[in-house]
Amino acid sequence: MTWLVWRQYRNQAYFAAAALAAFAVLLLITGRQMTSQYHSALSLCSASHNCGNLANTVTLGTPLLSLLVTLTVAVPCVLGIFWGGPLVAREFEAGTNQFAWTQSISRRHWLTAKAGWALLAAAAWGGIVSALVTWWSSPVNALEHQNFQPAQFDIQGIVPVGYAVFAVALGVAVGTLLRRALPAMAITLVVFTFVRLVVGQDFRSRYLTAVTETFGFLQRAGHRPAVPTGSYWLVSKGLVGPHGLVPTSQPNGGGISVGVRGFPSINLTNMPSACQALVFRNPRGVFPCLTAHGYRGLFITYQPADRYWAFQGIETGIFVLLAAALIAVTAIVVLRRDA
Amino acid sequence: MMASNNPAAIQTRGLSKRYRRVTALSEATITVPEGRISALIGENGAGKTTLLRLLAGLARPTGGEVAVLGSPLSQDPAFLADIGFLAQEIPLYRRLSAEDHIGVGAHLNSRWNGAAVRQRLESLGIPLDQRVGTLSGGQRAQLALALTLAKRPRLLLLDEPVAALDPLARRQFLAHLAEAVADGGLTVVLSSHLVADLERTCDHLILLAASRVELCGDIDTLLAEHQLLVGPRKDTTAIERDHTLVQAVRTARQTTLLIRRNGPVVDPAFEAADVGLEELVLGYMGQHAGPAPAHLTTIGEDQ
Repeated sequence: MTWLVWRQYRNQAYFAAAALAAFAVLLLITGRQMTSQYHSALSLCSASHNCGNLANTVTLGTPLLSLLVTLTVAVPCVLGIFWGGPLVAREFEAGTNQFAWTQSISRRHWLTAKAGWALLAAAAWGGIVSALVTWWSSPVNALEHQNFQPAQFDIQGIVPVGYAVFAVALGVAVGTLLRRALPAMAITLVVFTFVRLVVGQDFRSRYLTAVTETFGFLQRAGHRPAVPTGSYWLVSKGLVGPHGLVPTSQPNGGGISVGVRGFPSINLTNMPSACQALVFRNPRGVFPCLTAHGYRGLFITYQPADRYWAFQGIETGIFVLLAAALIAVTAIVVLRRDA
Repeated sequence: MMASNNPAAIQTRGLSKRYRRVTALSEATITVPEGRISALIGENGAGKTTLLRLLAGLARPTGGEVAVLGSPLSQDPAFLADIGFLAQEIPLYRRLSAEDHIGVGAHLNSRWNGAAVRQRLESLGIPLDQRVGTLSGGQRAQLALALTLAKRPRLLLLDEPVAALDPLARRQFLAHLAEAVADGGLTVVLSSHLVADLERTCDHLILLAASRVELCGDIDTLLAEHQLLVGPRKDTTAIERDHTLVQAVRTARQTTLLIRRNGPVVDPAFEAADVGLEELVLGYMGQHAGPAPAHLTTIGEDQ
């Protein structure tokens, strides 16, 4: 079967390999430049003991290059559409499944070889693209500490492998159910995008219970809360109210910004109107007003930077499990339904 | 079941296939002994393709029993190795060459005669290295037939195999098939809605009409059992009582009856004549369609 799979898809494989090679060359060249640029900037600022705002003074790469790297977020979806969607559907359309299914091999063998190689190729391509992007982004990551941002998280580490495997499994399953390649490709695009958005926006922040750090309005010496460091993920921030946490609403409007040393600044919104009214008239009266209303301090909720790989692993696991379920559905349909 | 010393290549009892609302095959009970070339005849939509797909294991029956080469239908490689199937639409990988297909067959089958395919295509002048999508319909059909035979099946199921071939190629292909059967160990069922193609080659008949099996058996036996009676326009109740009337065509002066005999016909007013395969088939098909003469015309035009 592997022989047939290779004959059928080798042109696609050559094309994808060429595209990947071109991408790799581009990133390897520019990535080396960026790394040396970063290191020289770092040694320069270390000499003058002024590395605090290095992120604001150094620009790595070009906007076009950054855009290209950001666009690799679409790679898993493209693989799902063009490798997954037609994999089984095209066979039904052309009737070639009847040819294959009356050779001396079982349908299980046929599907295992086809879907197996497609999933393996998806994992390889997703993994190689991600490895290149992760390496290329390492100076940017060191500079900006934004690893948990979707724009970074979704294209680095191991999650792209999970996305690619899921996308191809989705395409294969939809194509098997519909038996038409073009609708399967369209549905793959829509469903994949939907699932990615829902998981990213609604589920990701809950993989592990976030750490909540509170501190009073008036900091006393020796009573410092732990300052999050590195590429942590700020989930929410706001006031500790009389009945629990009151996150500030986004975007900030009309509040005042409160900075505690080492912490992200907190814009005070959603305050009682009496205190809100003081913001412009008597800013110093805001904290006493809040205290009088039963507010006890400020809080931030965040995922620590050292949970990055746990989050990568959990998200990859979710998508690999979804892919396994889709392949199981495909197998049942292929084995049970008529040719 | 058939006697064990003459095992049947195909044995079905009450075989049925229903799709949601449509019955594609209803209660088909057939027996095809080994070593036969069976003509599966019926109009378009009579259930020929459904029967062949069921026997090839591509579709699941919704009722009845099947034994193909003595075993139940399965997706096992061992079962599939014995069956050669060619679908009507001649599905091949359009972007692959004939040589690629020979390679595919070699990888997917335990016994495979790739050399025979090359030899056959070379003798027909069909290029081996060209994409199959660029070949003509007839060339694709020849390639597909050669590939199906290269599998060395014990049962060959061909759905309208000669439809894409020109008359000379048809005759050559059927002769080729007859040779393969004569070499032994091969049973063939091939469908067609054209009787003339099959009369020369086939020795067994399965006649389907409106998703039911009308006739199944040895062609010579079936022909001997039937008789054409031509006589004056008169009451035929007595004949209909003694024999099974298949079809009656009555004109102003003459009555023509196709009957399945139960013993000799004694009415002296009728002249008895032997039945040809085409008359037999058309007689049974005519039962299900409108007036027989009109039907005969349509069949004729179809050729």
